[in-house]
Amino acid sequence: MAMLDIQGVTKKFSTTMAVDDFSLTVADGELVCLLGPSGSGKSTLLRMIGGFETPSGGLITIDGDDVTRVPPERRPTGMVFQSHALWTHMNVFNNLAFGLKLRHLPKAEIRQKVEAVLELVGLSGYGSRATTQLSGGQQQRVALARSLVLEPKILLLDEPFASLDQHLRERLREEVRDIQQRLKITTLFVTHGQDEALALADRIVVMRDGHTEQADRPDVVYREPASPFVAGFIGSMNLVDGTIANNVFTHTGFTVPLTAADGQATLAVRPEALHIVPASGVGMAKIHRVTDYGTHAIVDIDLPDGVRLKAMVGEARAWTAGQAINLKPRAFAAYRDNVAIFRSLDNHG
Amino acid sequence: MTALPANDIVGTKSSRRPTGLLLVAAPVLLVCWLIIWPIISAIIRTVWLPDTAGERRFSLETYQFFFSDQYSINNLMVTLWTTAVTALILLLICLPIALYLRFATNRIAAYVQGLAIFPMFVPSIILSYAFIRVLGPNGTVDLLLNAVHLPHIRSPYLTPWGPVLGLVWDNIPLTVLILLSGLGNVSNQSIEAARDVGAGRIAVLWHIILPRISNSLLVAVSFTVLGIFSAFTLPYVLGPAAPEMMGPFMQRTFRDLNDPTTAITQAVIAFGFCIVFGLFYVYSVAKNRAP
Amino acid sequence: MARALIEKRTDWTGIGFAAVLTIVIIFPLLVVGTWAFTNVWRYPSVIPQEFGLKFWQQTLARADVWSSITTSLSLSVTVTLLSCVICLPAAYAFARMEFPARNLLFFSFLAGHAFPKFGLLVAIAGIFLQLNLIATFWGVVLIQLVGTLLFMIWIPVAAFQSVDRRMEEAARDVGAKPFRVFWSITLPQAGPTIAAAVLLSFVGTFYETEGAWLIGAPQIRTLPVLMISFINNQPVIQYGAVLSVILWVPSFAALLFARRIISSGSFARGFGG
Repeated sequence: MAMLDIQGVTKKFSTTMAVDDFSLTVADGELVCLLGPSGSGKSTLLRMIGGFETPSGGLITIDGDDVTRVPPERRPTGMVFQSHALWTHMNVFNNLAFGLKLRHLPKAEIRQKVEAVLELVGLSGYGSRATTQLSGGQQQRVALARSLVLEPKILLLDEPFASLDQHLRERLREEVRDIQQRLKITTLFVTHGQDEALALADRIVVMRDGHTEQADRPDVVYREPASPFVAGFIGSMNLVDGTIANNVFTHTGFTVPLTAADGQATLAVRPEALHIVPASGVGMAKIHRVTDYGTHAIVDIDLPDGVRLKAMVGEARAWTAGQAINLKPRAFAAYRDNVAIFRSLDNHG
Repeated sequence: MTALPANDIVGTKSSRRPTGLLLVAAPVLLVCWLIIWPIISAIIRTVWLPDTAGERRFSLETYQFFFSDQYSINNLMVTLWTTAVTALILLLICLPIALYLRFATNRIAAYVQGLAIFPMFVPSIILSYAFIRVLGPNGTVDLLLNAVHLPHIRSPYLTPWGPVLGLVWDNIPLTVLILLSGLGNVSNQSIEAARDVGAGRIAVLWHIILPRISNSLLVAVSFTVLGIFSAFTLPYVLGPAAPEMMGPFMQRTFRDLNDPTTAITQAVIAFGFCIVFGLFYVYSVAKNRAP
Repeated sequence: MARALIEKRTDWTGIGFAAVLTIVIIFPLLVVGTWAFTNVWRYPSVIPQEFGLKFWQQTLARADVWSSITTSLSLSVTVTLLSCVICLPAAYAFARMEFPARNLLFFSFLAGHAFPKFGLLVAIAGIFLQLNLIATFWGVVLIQLVGTLLFMIWIPVAAFQSVDRRMEEAARDVGAKPFRVFWSITLPQAGPTIAAAVLLSFVGTFYETEGAWLIGAPQIRTLPVLMISFINNQPVIQYGAVLSVILWVPSFAALLFARRIISSGSFARGFGG
């Protein structure tokens, strides 16, 4: 039902370009994560969709209606803020009922809708509580309920779990995912946490400096990052600068065969795809340190010129610091000028 | 992103500038009319006097008169004396109290703080009355001394010490609060570090605490000077008839002698004596507070 | 350091301060309170010969007391209302809007504090003299209104600024128009602090003596002005004592309500501390 279309939206703050000619179409019921470092323009974009900022240029439509210049109170969007922004002078019930009262709904209907949404977020019976008596997770649930109770066409979440601890964050994002699936509500979710994006999204839009670096399914973004930036931002990734000559990538003794034209390039290998073998003699590199995490171990590797790589191994005890090793990447990609020029076929170890 | 102004909400943008100015216009105009203009006008009126023909010309004669008139000079001197003595006594009383409150946390400290702030809630006119009842002729102190067969005190009422005592009492709360707020900038660690390297209590006070609160001390002094230099009620009620402080002197010149030009000259002279303190005070307040 | 040193033994420093301050600050007020409920107290008795409410009846029967109570209350109410009307919208504008010379105008309210107050009053009186505002109700209103500006703008500005912008945006999001947001979200959030500022301005105006005396006398006689004339000319001690107790009532109310603000520290910072 609700489709969001963003066409060439631009936002300029005095001198900086916060969002630069950004386009995206979100299908009905889809959950899209806007992922990027702070300053990448993802929150500004969300605020423009919510109506809290006016685009300097471009078009935003919801179900074909142009809302680019419509004030927030007349948009069919619901926003959940990072700091929850609950109205502390109202109790939970009044926080949820405020928007319904503005729509002049009958009292009984308001009560019934509020109770239904409280049940949806697992807070039945909390209506008369003061918002300040709630825990951080409960406050964020109320904020979510406050947006949902108005049945918005588009749900916007601006880093809603940033202030919560890791455990609670994981639980809440599962709940959000469940609720979103049940209501089939079109959702835009801003985050700078890659786990959150990977766990939640139907589609991830990786943003950098106001534009899209890559927009794709989470598994594609993870396995086939479109640029070194995406590669480095999603998951853990070794990035090594070097040169390609005669179909061999070289960085001071570390060589990888591939198929690409000669020239400068950046090699990207995930730690779990960087296979290491003991070397007889000097080898390509030396082990700096082995850190045992129980289920797996991370080996820190120093190339001769001091560049540090990480490799994931199953068994910590097989490796010792100072040991000479050779490197055998099993899955990797090479980038030149921000574009992938080679991907190994066995793309995931 | 989030740090950028959010007043960009659609619809308010176009009308933003004139609306803001319009909303602040009334109080700003009031300040211009009743503070800035009177000061400018006071200076102009006292140096641009009408001569016998009724025409206005530049003249400093009202100022010459003030500084050649022994009575005016005496009044100025007693004002300066009162201001200096009151400021000194205030610091000597309030600095120990503030230091004590900064480092004590028990219930006695809460009581002391409550007492030190309490005079803020006693209007100075009630204070004057209480002062007369306690220290005035046949006041409570006299009663008590008489009861134990001791001679009467020499009452400070209607002497220059009367206003001093009243003004000290009246100014304790804000002085303590300002010093206490300055002492809040002195971290416990910096003091512990100093004690650790062998500094005694006096050394800590002199080398660690006082340098850190020097600004607050200056603010407290400026605030006191501004308040005392032209204090009216307490000197009027408690002080001697002559010499009198600048406040009552201006009031008498203005109302009783019906000589506004001379009264305004006295006011401009008071401005002159306080200008350094005034500017410093305003600068300190402004520095702490951006809109 | 000092904390450890002090708390190990009895806090003699604190007890010393407490004792001296009690004698210096509380005792004089107790004496006034005692006088107010005394019918007869002749020298040299240490305690009154006869307690009673005789002088309350006599004081409250005086026409000048009632007329000055009326004057004081109507002045304070007028000044406070006017101050709210002109200052609160201005405070909101300073807190939430961008306009040219915003900072300069914001700090212009400090101008009055760079000069000794009574000198400034004399300079203003010089202007009022030409405008025939001396000894009029509105003359006193104006001079007292100027005295409330700094408080009534700076404290509400801080109050408005401390309201989370996102709370307002959330209200816009659920469908409230800007004025509704102000009414239902911003004002209730900033309310307690603004109420304290209004109370302070009421109390400050009620006790304002110097402007009232210089501009208003003799026609406009507020309670503090009446008190001065009692001190100077009234041989019956109890009249002044009773009037002092009556006069203290608004201050006591302020004491109850404003304590939280004053102990919060932001208050002292407002004075440059």
